[in-house]
Amino acid sequence: MKFIKTHISLIFPLVAILLGLEFFIVFDRTTDSFEKSLKNGYSMMVVSKNEMSIDDFKSWDEHVEQVIELEKSKILERLNMTKESKSQKEFEASLPNFYSLKLDGYLTVKQLEEVKLNLQKSEDIVSIESFQSAYQSKYELFSFIKLAFQTFIVFMSIIGFFLIIKQMEVWNFLHAQRMKVMEIFGASLFLRSKVLINMALIDAIISALITSAIFYAIQNVWVRGSQMEILKENVDAMFAFTDILILLVASIVVVMIAVYLVVVNVKEE
Amino acid sequence: MSNVITANDLTLSYESDEEIIKNANFSIKKGDFVFITGPSGSGKSTLLKSFYGNLTPDSGTLVVGGLDMVDIKKDKLQELRSHLGIVFQDYRLINEWTVEKNVVLPLWISGYSDEVQHTQAKRLLHHVKLSGKEEKYPMELSGGEQQRVGVARALAKNPFLILADEPTGNLDEYSSNVIWDLMENACHQLDTTVVVVTHRIPMVFNIPYRHFTIDENGSVYEIH
Repeated sequence: MKFIKTHISLIFPLVAILLGLEFFIVFDRTTDSFEKSLKNGYSMMVVSKNEMSIDDFKSWDEHVEQVIELEKSKILERLNMTKESKSQKEFEASLPNFYSLKLDGYLTVKQLEEVKLNLQKSEDIVSIESFQSAYQSKYELFSFIKLAFQTFIVFMSIIGFFLIIKQMEVWNFLHAQRMKVMEIFGASLFLRSKVLINMALIDAIISALITSAIFYAIQNVWVRGSQMEILKENVDAMFAFTDILILLVASIVVVMIAVYLVVVNVKEE
Repeated sequence: MSNVITANDLTLSYESDEEIIKNANFSIKKGDFVFITGPSGSGKSTLLKSFYGNLTPDSGTLVVGGLDMVDIKKDKLQELRSHLGIVFQDYRLINEWTVEKNVVLPLWISGYSDEVQHTQAKRLLHHVKLSGKEEKYPMELSGGEQQRVGVARALAKNPFLILADEPTGNLDEYSSNVIWDLMENACHQLDTTVVVVTHRIPMVFNIPYRHFTIDENGSVYEIH
């Protein structure tokens, strides 16, 4: 019971911090792939009087990454105007050029508006369709989820750090007397803090393993069994075995800083 | 005989406070048994603290075991302390450690093997009449027994200098006698230098000793 009480008071805040860190890592990975899919799924439609190359578009706005020319015949095909070949050719010749533009990233709505304004400066471009309203609703939802998660992560980390500061005070109360006595008898800083280091290291390892187990369970029990497409698509991003190493290093760094601060603040009487 | 402690014009004070020890000049030789007495607040404990580097001299010189205590480096101070035996009035035992572990603390710090530590603990606890209490915790012992553990700890590594601050201040006669006997023996048989701060020198003392006193102005005199 005493063992559990001694360790839980450090493991709990450490797990809170590590959960925050792992959420951040996972969220970064999943939003990155979600951003890519949003970026790949988005294109801007441009109609121009004359033929334009990618360099022509890039000269108006640097965000243009790829230009796909839409074949006029296919447009006519869609309009079901392929039966009379002579009139089709004449009509096709009179049509302007249609382009689908891919951009270099998932831009903000403001940036998207700027791209549109820049392209409109070209005299060749007749019309631009940016599908802004659909883009905006996706972008705002995405931004909201991102902000909500980031706030949660920051909040959890702050709580974790406050609990660790409290634990440092407890350590100071429990270990200061021993460290003072050991210092009087000539013990080095390492020897004085050895008991605390050992305890903190055990807690750091346990915390990293608990956090890893939580995310492993989320990945393999909850996400794999989920019916949500977005979760299923990102199942691999939920947890990677390299995360254990990241969590372990982060956990050890946090406890070692805490131990060092406690030990150096113990003053001889 | 070589000096273990030498003070020249030694002045001590706590941060921004007035001087407690003023221009003290004395030397303590190897094998000396020294009592330091004086009224309460005269600076007896302060002087003792300076011997183990807990307080840095304001001016003058203080040499302990050949080391200049005015600008002693941290590693040298650790080395010096590992060869001292220090006894406190409030025992300063580690409450979460057993009696045996407390006794062998100086040996553990110096990296002695478990076997050496165990043998030495057994021998010392026999000397302080605490055989069989190895696995007890300090809080399970009386004040007199705790102080005897403190003395055993001070003797664990056969120090060249024992510094004791009111070692029998709150103790019963039996424990006091055990402690004085041990210190006399360490001095007489092992040629250990012993410096004891006390309010009163014991009535019966079997070996020759030197007596320093500190007056209310912080001056240190030797009484012949």
